[in-house]
Amino acid sequence: MLLNKKGSGARWRVRPDGPDKVTGKLAYLTDMTAPDMLIGRVLRSPHAHARITAIRTEHAAALDGVHAVITHKDVPGLNRFGIAHPDQPVLCEDRVRYVGDAVAAVAADTLEIAEHALRLIEVDYEPLPIVEDAEYALTDEAPQLHPQGNLLHRNGFQRGDIAAGFDSCAHVVEETYYTPRQMHTYMETEGGLFIPGEDGRLTVYSPTQHGFMDRMQLARILAIPQSEIRIVSSPIGGSFGGKDELNVQPYGALLARITKRPVKLHNSRWESVRAGLKRHPMKITMKTGVDDSGRLIAHQVRIIADTGPYATLGAEVLNFAVEHVIGPYRYEHLDVEGFSVYTNNGMSGEFRGFGGNQAIFALEGQFDRLAEKLGMDPWELRLRNMRRSDDPGPFDQPIALTEGAKQVSAAMTSSPLWQERSNPAAKAAQDEPWIRTGIGAAFTMHGAGLGFGIPDPAGGRLTLAADGKIEAVFGYEEFGQGLIASLEQMLIEQFGFASGDIRIVIGDTDIVPESGSTTASRATSMMWKSLQNLRPLFEDAVLGKAADILQLPASRLRFGEGGVYAIEASPEPDNPKCLMTYPALAAACWEPVTSSTQFHFPTSDTQKVGAHFLYTYSAVAVKVEVNQLTGRVRVLHQYHAVAAGPVINPQGFLGQIEGGSSMAIGFALTEDAVMSGGQYLTKNLDTYLVPTIAEHRGTIDVQPIEELPEEDNYGPRGIGEVGSVTLAPAIAAAIYDAVGVRVTKLPIDSELLLAQSFDSFLDKAVSGE
Amino acid sequence: MKDSAKSVTPLAASSIPCTINGHEASLNVPPAKRLLHVLRDDLAMTGAKRSCEIGRCGACMVMVDGVPVNSCLTMAYQCSGKSITTIEGVSAQAGGIDPIQRAFLEEGGFQCGYCTPGMIISVKALLDHNPDPTSLEIEEALSGNICRCTGYGGIKRAVQKAIEWRKEAYESESIRD
Repeated sequence: MLLNKKGSGARWRVRPDGPDKVTGKLAYLTDMTAPDMLIGRVLRSPHAHARITAIRTEHAAALDGVHAVITHKDVPGLNRFGIAHPDQPVLCEDRVRYVGDAVAAVAADTLEIAEHALRLIEVDYEPLPIVEDAEYALTDEAPQLHPQGNLLHRNGFQRGDIAAGFDSCAHVVEETYYTPRQMHTYMETEGGLFIPGEDGRLTVYSPTQHGFMDRMQLARILAIPQSEIRIVSSPIGGSFGGKDELNVQPYGALLARITKRPVKLHNSRWESVRAGLKRHPMKITMKTGVDDSGRLIAHQVRIIADTGPYATLGAEVLNFAVEHVIGPYRYEHLDVEGFSVYTNNGMSGEFRGFGGNQAIFALEGQFDRLAEKLGMDPWELRLRNMRRSDDPGPFDQPIALTEGAKQVSAAMTSSPLWQERSNPAAKAAQDEPWIRTGIGAAFTMHGAGLGFGIPDPAGGRLTLAADGKIEAVFGYEEFGQGLIASLEQMLIEQFGFASGDIRIVIGDTDIVPESGSTTASRATSMMWKSLQNLRPLFEDAVLGKAADILQLPASRLRFGEGGVYAIEASPEPDNPKCLMTYPALAAACWEPVTSSTQFHFPTSDTQKVGAHFLYTYSAVAVKVEVNQLTGRVRVLHQYHAVAAGPVINPQGFLGQIEGGSSMAIGFALTEDAVMSGGQYLTKNLDTYLVPTIAEHRGTIDVQPIEELPEEDNYGPRGIGEVGSVTLAPAIAAAIYDAVGVRVTKLPIDSELLLAQSFDSFLDKAVSGE
Repeated sequence: MKDSAKSVTPLAASSIPCTINGHEASLNVPPAKRLLHVLRDDLAMTGAKRSCEIGRCGACMVMVDGVPVNSCLTMAYQCSGKSITTIEGVSAQAGGIDPIQRAFLEEGGFQCGYCTPGMIISVKALLDHNPDPTSLEIEEALSGNICRCTGYGGIKRAVQKAIEWRKEAYESESIRD
């Protein structure tokens, strides 16, 4: 059954964080102020690559209303940050490597004074030759950006004998695919409020996707114990991976510590663009061969990822891409190699899909091309080579058994949208022959969790608090995905609580346990697993107390709305009687009753770093309209089959697939943060084009497939990313179906889709033909 | 060092009379100050959001005399004698929550919520002016409001629901009259 409000019945719930959002009451962390607050601003490099020969701050410091001007000399600890590999300077010492590099920061009474102070800071630069092409970066003649050179990370995977494999192929397709520098474009730019306490501690109110990681990194920069820092990290006005790494936090923290005053920073959009992360632009070359029956024989892939000046999670994104260019198919011979390369372009890093978007656009493109060579239906070719449910994963690693691949394929191929493909009558409209329509499809097997070899803790706790509230405490962040709503829904449906019984506490490192990061489509899975672990513990603890007080066996008690109830013989009476309310029970317990769980995200038994164990499967069909006079592509209808186990929160599930697919429309059709000479040409939303409501005229059908194997105890799989992945290659296939043009580069160049080139149009117009 | 200034002289403020959410106000701010910053920084009304600041995303939208405008492009002097309605005013006028806001809640027309105040302002301005818009008119009215989370599905469903509810409310009022 398709996912919608009507079909979800009572499971479609108003989000607990909704009322404050629709009324504008919700204070985001960048809405906060404090008495006596200063405004912080960061001076960033105008050059993509330069040596710094001098920094003079005296004039800025002398300006009335300026309370601090800081440079690298004022960083007491490690002057570097980066989640996996700290190589990004907090404040540059002698060299800048991109136009977002920070050189100095100021705190002043007003924004006007802070901005004027930035203009008074004098930095002498000696521009250096820049590296703007990732392949050039790997040559000996390229300037070397780091002591170890320009290669951040290399990874690959081999199986069989690739040369012999190609020798035995009947058909081989070789193609190179290019993907854009997509920007997260969270509507709330980076910012926050930094408050030094009288006790010497620092409180940081700033969005992130992993509060404890920020705390560790800030402690390293400030050279103070982690216990001296409190990170409050929710609510967040969008992140999509982009706020996972530190952004303004080091500057706010340093300025607040030095001035002993609260400091607020809030990036302008342009500062967000120049300094912030983007999706890695990748060049992916694939050579793929089949025998004459369409059986895959050999697959050779080379990935070049432009990671920009510093590491953040560039290596991990590459590992993910290497895994996902193999995907859910069976090959005899494999040879994949990938390079994540430093350049003087913008920072690339973590972004919803995490390298899967680029990899799967290329991989699915190969199937469409091979099918054409074979004269075979493109989906039939996929099915012929699709993994079996007990096959190992892409890296030959053991993975959780599911029928996901088969399930989504069967659902998609029986969808009305895909069926419509066999009826070519409606291809071109009679009255507008320059409009052509086409239908395409694509497939994704997307990993969740951080993968083998990377610490990926999980856990949480439940407490019957002193005031009688059931407190659910997790170290996760709410950035819009609906984490709070999903947690509330699980507590209601699995435990029987009423929403009024529950208090959800997240995103505050002073209070919450380490639950790992809110990334990698992992948080809902990990909350579900935590509650599975906690349920018997919490029942024992709380119902045990109630049993003592009520003089009843605990086995006869259950949680319910408002309090503890007796388990009645079925059928339940219409009005079961509450034996003891939660506040009464809490009062009788003297102290809060708590149960905790800590565990690790499930990983595969392998040695391959980054290899995943849990996957989400999706198959997408899409119908597009191509205007051959303008080259514009319009997405008409989409069908998404998603196999991710039980649907925890129907509204959240639908929203993730709809919202993710909107990002894929941008990735395919309009979005690219264009750079030239290491400078951004697209500085704001006038030239960086995210889809508007006008790009979403069509319908989106979402078909969740919930069945898991009987023995499966991993529960819901992640759905935060997969929606953003599968649509782009499906759009490319649909464009080919409509106008016969193969797309190799995203966003799609409209000129390629014109019935005639602009030059020939002009020639004809001038000659009067 | 060419610039020897030791201080930044604040711009002269002038008194600008206007109405904000039904209350008469006098804004004592520099005439060219952007309404967005007046609301957020001087009046501590943070419902209008700061995002692109070039009038492209709609997160800062408010109504000026019933017309939706990007407050990041509106200067304080342009508000002289005008009636400004912010998201806070939409809720207050409805006595808690407007049917449009309720429709966004019930249909899931938001996720992170940062675009939502501006989006709701645009919907309200549209429906106040045109209670039964076509889908093309809705598209046109909302194409200046970017939502990065929802893909607009929930927003379109919320707008349809709000239209339905407002119609029902109008019809039941008409019957009573």
